[in-house]
Amino acid sequence: MDDIYGIFKGGTLMNPILTFLVVLIGFYGLSSSDNIIKSVFSVTIIESGVILLFLNLGNFEGGAIPILSEGVTSIVDPLPQALMITTIVIGSTVTALSLMLCIKVFHHYGSVEWKEVLSREDVKS
Amino acid sequence: MSRQILLIVLLGVIFGVFTVSILELEELYNSFGKEYFLEYGAQQTGSNNLVTAILLDYRLFDSLFEAGILLIAVSGVIWISKHDIEEKNAKFMIDKYKTPDLFVTFSRLVYPLMLTFGFYVVINGHLSPGGGFQGGTIVATAILILYYIDADKETNIGLIVTVEKVVYLLVILVASLSIFTRGTFFTNFFELGASADQKAIYLVLLNVLIGIKVALGLWTIFTAFLKEGR
Repeated sequence: MDDIYGIFKGGTLMNPILTFLVVLIGFYGLSSSDNIIKSVFSVTIIESGVILLFLNLGNFEGGAIPILSEGVTSIVDPLPQALMITTIVIGSTVTALSLMLCIKVFHHYGSVEWKEVLSREDVKS
Repeated sequence: MSRQILLIVLLGVIFGVFTVSILELEELYNSFGKEYFLEYGAQQTGSNNLVTAILLDYRLFDSLFEAGILLIAVSGVIWISKHDIEEKNAKFMIDKYKTPDLFVTFSRLVYPLMLTFGFYVVINGHLSPGGGFQGGTIVATAILILYYIDADKETNIGLIVTVEKVVYLLVILVASLSIFTRGTFFTNFFELGASADQKAIYLVLLNVLIGIKVALGLWTIFTAFLKEGR
């Protein structure tokens, strides 16, 4: 019964806490970075943290990958892995879209620094 | 400086709330779903890879909109990257005189291998790790190497996007075929009692369609970025 709740992995909460630290690093980068491109990559870091968190959810020590073959009796939970494919696809498309917007901002304002772009007259109006 | 200290304090509060909230996770998360998939998954869907079984059978509705979001993002990237100035000013970023000869030669060797591996991952998605989304990405990377081999290559983005839309409609069509055989939308169109080989036809068909769709979508995004290199 112990190994079913893989998130607790021998009674510790260490794995989810460490993965949430990755999310917090992303939050910090998002709110303190001066460059628009760095903000975009902070969102990517948050996404990586969320993916790690979900993959930890059904994981336990000694669990096989969720592909059935001879002699496989205990597997990790396949549902979080299937959900995370969605997250990866959506994350990559969101990154592509925001980087394209960054290029447009650079061509229009000549800079990708938040302060320089926001101090322009035509942005404030 | 004070703003950064405030920020760290706020992040600490979020961290504390998270730590308290995951203590209840033991009641929220259980392994009943896992045991169900382990017992009935391969028998009901004909897929040894349980992740593919969930993606293409149990939660196909999710996967359809996942592919749809990719299509919407591709349309958005193309729409944003449209130029007001003349299109002939938009030049490809890759300069063929700056690309090393060794890299070009090596790309020619690697290109067919990558393409073959991508098709393998797509077609074998129900037996081994992989599937339409992952294999489609590998195929797209293989296509992108072509730009290093032949920098003057011209691509008709409009045609690619049209083909992608048609393939997406085909995916929805194949997914909806089960209304005639089983009476419900978005599941395998073979009967529940059919053999695993018959069910594999549906899985391979849908995997190939999704793979083509993802490969074309990523190819379009990459060409849109290349044209921005002015």
